[in-house]
Amino acid sequence: MGISVRDLVKVYGQSTVIKGISFDVADGEFVTLLGPSGCGKTTTLRCIAGLDTIDGGEIRINEQIVSNTATEVFVPPHERNLGMVFQSYAVWPHLTVAQNVAFPLTVRGVRDTSETVKWALDIVGMHELASRRPSELSGGQQQRVALARAIAGKPQVLLFDEPLSNLDARLRDRTRAEISRIQHELKVPAIYVTHDQTEALSMSDRVIVMSAGLTIQDGTPKQIYHAPVNRFVADFIGNANFLPVQRRGSKWVLPDGTALSVCPETKHLRGDKMTALVRPEVIQVEPGPAEQIHPDINRITGTVISSVFLGQHIEHVVSVAGLELRLFSRMPLESGSGITLSFHASDCRLLSE
Amino acid sequence: MNRLTQNNTSAQHRFNLLTPLYALVFTAVALMALVPVLALVLGSLRDSPPGQPGSWTLENWANLASPGVIDTLLTTIQVACLTTFFSMILGTMLALIIHRTDFRWPNAMTGLLGLSFYFPSFILGMAWIVIGSPGGLINDLVRELFDAEANLDIYSVGGIVLVMVLHQVPFVYLTMRGPVLGMDPSYEEAARTAGASAFTMLRRVTLPMLSYALASSTLLCLVMSLEQFGIPVLLGIPGRVTVLATQIYLLCRFPPTAYGLAAAIGLTLAAITALAILLQRRLARGGQAVATTGKAGRITPIRLGAWRWPANIFCGGYILMGLIFPTIILLYTSLIKFFTGNPLTAAYTFRNYISIWESEGTQLATLNTLLVSGGGALVGVMLGAACSYFTVRLKPTGHRILDMLVMLPFGVPGVVLGLGLLWAYAYLPLPLYGTMTLIVLAYVTRFLPYATETAGARFVQLDRSLEEAAWTAGASRQTGVWRIVLPLSLPSLQSGYFLLFMAFFREISATILIFTASTSVLSVSIWSYFEQADWGMASALSILAMILMMGIMSTLLWAMPGARQR
Repeated sequence: MGISVRDLVKVYGQSTVIKGISFDVADGEFVTLLGPSGCGKTTTLRCIAGLDTIDGGEIRINEQIVSNTATEVFVPPHERNLGMVFQSYAVWPHLTVAQNVAFPLTVRGVRDTSETVKWALDIVGMHELASRRPSELSGGQQQRVALARAIAGKPQVLLFDEPLSNLDARLRDRTRAEISRIQHELKVPAIYVTHDQTEALSMSDRVIVMSAGLTIQDGTPKQIYHAPVNRFVADFIGNANFLPVQRRGSKWVLPDGTALSVCPETKHLRGDKMTALVRPEVIQVEPGPAEQIHPDINRITGTVISSVFLGQHIEHVVSVAGLELRLFSRMPLESGSGITLSFHASDCRLLSE
Repeated sequence: MNRLTQNNTSAQHRFNLLTPLYALVFTAVALMALVPVLALVLGSLRDSPPGQPGSWTLENWANLASPGVIDTLLTTIQVACLTTFFSMILGTMLALIIHRTDFRWPNAMTGLLGLSFYFPSFILGMAWIVIGSPGGLINDLVRELFDAEANLDIYSVGGIVLVMVLHQVPFVYLTMRGPVLGMDPSYEEAARTAGASAFTMLRRVTLPMLSYALASSTLLCLVMSLEQFGIPVLLGIPGRVTVLATQIYLLCRFPPTAYGLAAAIGLTLAAITALAILLQRRLARGGQAVATTGKAGRITPIRLGAWRWPANIFCGGYILMGLIFPTIILLYTSLIKFFTGNPLTAAYTFRNYISIWESEGTQLATLNTLLVSGGGALVGVMLGAACSYFTVRLKPTGHRILDMLVMLPFGVPGVVLGLGLLWAYAYLPLPLYGTMTLIVLAYVTRFLPYATETAGARFVQLDRSLEEAAWTAGASRQTGVWRIVLPLSLPSLQSGYFLLFMAFFREISATILIFTASTSVLSVSIWSYFEQADWGMASALSILAMILMMGIMSTLLWAMPGARQR
């Protein structure tokens, strides 16, 4: 059950925008397609919805083949039993809130829609605005109507195309939680497209990171964040320091010869020149020069270059072994002062470029 | 049935209603556009009138080089260029005065210009004949009051240009109004703060920024002047000032007829106008990026100061000459027994109105007009909306060809289109000649771009996701069109209906060669009275037709709020 995408290819004119990607979404699972604009994530979603045709591969929804180029199967969107929420809300201005939400039912010939409409509007907390016109609603309210409309038809699949990107930050947090809750209640597979890492990490059971029409990494939010497969993923999600390292005997050293203890999982990677990832928030700061106390803890001397006050913490830029590192601390530090940075070996992962 | 499913960029669909509809619309538009044009081509190669036995010949094309035709062509170009030149100057001045200065009555002026836009050209021509012909009002009045000769002759190139300018100024105003209003005021403010006076700013910033709009409007105005039928025929025939449209009419209506030569001339005229339209579309596309940022800010109006009264007189003078004076003259002519220029010595009567009331021919013509305008406009809007949906949104295989086919008749002057239909249906085994269907067919063919442009503009604006949301919510393509796209486009469809209704109501050039006694419409009846030199009846019927038109106009505007936003 769920959604299954196999070797999906999509071509626009001269350029191939999706170059053969495959993934599955289980029943009740919430999967996010994450990536920079132009990576093919929205196109993938549109292919699943049937809004775009595919040029290679196969898509199944609940074991039914809905798109297949080999057998030339194409099920049009209205026969795929979807609920989809669009970036632009797409709430129809000539219909009331209740009529918008009732639409998936009325087009399927359901006469008595009032109970389902009430149920859907209750879920998004919009019941008292049922007779309003969309033009009388705020952006957040309109998006909740769109959400209610998407679930009113009791769809097999929920699809979200950057639904929060037009909302302001505060509203985004609230609606995010609401979408998660609703999807859990309905227990249907959901695919969510976004370029916002916070949305991806906080809502998803699994995140698929895409770039240039390819899947780069497919994993849980924790895997994606803590064990990115390459520099692109590490850079796209969260803050990152990248240190160039070289193999010297059995050790990895910085350009100035300082030895680094790296995460054992990544030690076996082949190659003599690698990049070490150290997230700013894992770095501890103490005043004074460094002394080694434990082989699993890296302790390096550095000099503070500059500091920026950001409210919840201070961001410091520190010079280490001729490189610049960013780190967060609540401690104010003088520019030019010598400090010790420490981080655990498991927080220092080697990446291929 | 594969047409819709070959498309790569938008979704494929299995069988739906839109596939046969596309085939139907495509076929209909192709026939409507191509049949008259092909018939003209064939007709231009025949040496006999339509429907008569004859043989093939190239003589008609050779005759294009005769001095008579060359002369006519030169006159046509002369009249069209002069008309365009003056119409552009006056129309642009009106737009600038009304929308860029502290002119006192902008709303009243806009309304009156809108009215004169709908004033039928041949009725305006008739009114000016009554005013300015050798036996007309002014000459008569001068003779009677001063015992002198004014020697005013409206039957001349100057007269034709005057009346055509009066007719086309509102069109120029309407096309320039949008660009003038849509200009980003910050450009002008920058000029003012840089030390430019109001007039320097107008000359060095405002007008150059409007240059695309000006050029595009000039070309459209040129096309209208080349196509213009009523005015040059009415004023030109007595004065022997012949333009191409006149010559086509004369060659078909009065013996010795030469339908073949008329067809060749018609194709030549159509080629010239089509070229101008092609150029205009190019320009319009290039100009979209310029000047209109959509940031319609509040523009500081230019202070007229000492120019206030010249501006008032200019605006008032136009309305007087283009709208009020002609209406009063027609009213006067319709109420007098014998023509005299002096209203104090005239004998007044309701005779004309009574004869119209009793005339069965007029009743039929009125009924026909309402039928053609009301029903025909509905057909036109539905066909136009369907075309636009295919060319703008669905884009199935061949949609570019469809778009071209829709635009093709736009370059064909009405009288040429009528001639084409005359040729076509004399040979085709379709019982269309002498039916109202043929008249509706001619009108819809001629004015279909009005409907496709208004509907298309709306379809382009409609966010794709509004329609896609319907599909993902379980609506098929045709259900999405019916429940989402059409309701959301209703205002544009209403406005298209209004435009078509008004165009159909006034149309004469496409009808004049194809009407029969039973398919006569009001415009043709007025024309016939005038041709019989019955100024009284022609004027009375004009007045009644215009009252009817205004009544319908206000009813339509009241019933269809969408038609008001223009």
